[in-house]
Amino acid sequence: MARPAKREVAETCFELLNIEMVRLYHEKDDTSTARAALESIGFQVGHQLAERYSMDRPRFSEHLDVIKFICKEFWIELFKKPVDNLKTNRHREIFVLHDNKFRWLRHVSLAANTPQGSELVARYLVFPCGVVKGALASFGVPCEVTADILDTPGSCSFQVRIK
Amino acid sequence: SDVDPLRFHFIVHCALDVVDERLSNRSKGSSGGDSFLGLLYLSEDYRIYGYVTNTRAKLVLVDDDPEPKEADIKESFRRMHAAYVNAVSNPFHRSGQVINSKSFTKALLQIAEGTR
Repeated sequence: MARPAKREVAETCFELLNIEMVRLYHEKDDTSTARAALESIGFQVGHQLAERYSMDRPRFSEHLDVIKFICKEFWIELFKKPVDNLKTNRHREIFVLHDNKFRWLRHVSLAANTPQGSELVARYLVFPCGVVKGALASFGVPCEVTADILDTPGSCSFQVRIK
Repeated sequence: SDVDPLRFHFIVHCALDVVDERLSNRSKGSSGGDSFLGLLYLSEDYRIYGYVTNTRAKLVLVDDDPEPKEADIKESFRRMHAAYVNAVSNPFHRSGQVINSKSFTKALLQIAEGTR
């Protein structure tokens, strides 16, 4: 019996929605309110995606397994590639996820090495931070997630600070 | 059949206690583990099975089949998990609240009837 094909949506739809979402929230509110709103939208999305993507996986035994899952399977589902580099501090409370070519920045034309440029580009990283935070929270790893843009275009890092 | 739903609530609540116990025992010992927790306990006419997801959602299955087959139970849990994921992915669902979805209820009924 043939399985019905998985329903798919063009990625462009998401990209356009993302652009509009960032614009809308920053237009109607000040920066910190807009960031809080975008992060909480990301949080809910991350929570729901975590349910779906972790469905067929065996249970995680510790925080490190969860982080590795985020860096590999979760990142691949969302961004079609795994995280390029993972660093952690000695006590494993801070993890830094480095992506050389972050998919949601690939169409950003603005140079991020000017102060205004970097603030504007940073707006697009709030939602993905929320997604990571929401996913980790759903696995029982409460944390704060922030992002930094790095020098190479499209390159960024996410800092996960476990609470 | 006209079974008292309150009785099932009681059975499921006891089951959740057993699940919590199993999970806290598990964390003291070995690595990882299965989502399927196996038979939690027996209650007069019913066998109660447990399953926990990576996101710490607990699924409890109450079975009155006198000759249970573990493969069927596992398959039912797999389908319940899939129905749960679909229900939770609803953007109008609020995390932590009771799931209020006709398609979720329908899916669960189908799973329950399928094992008869």
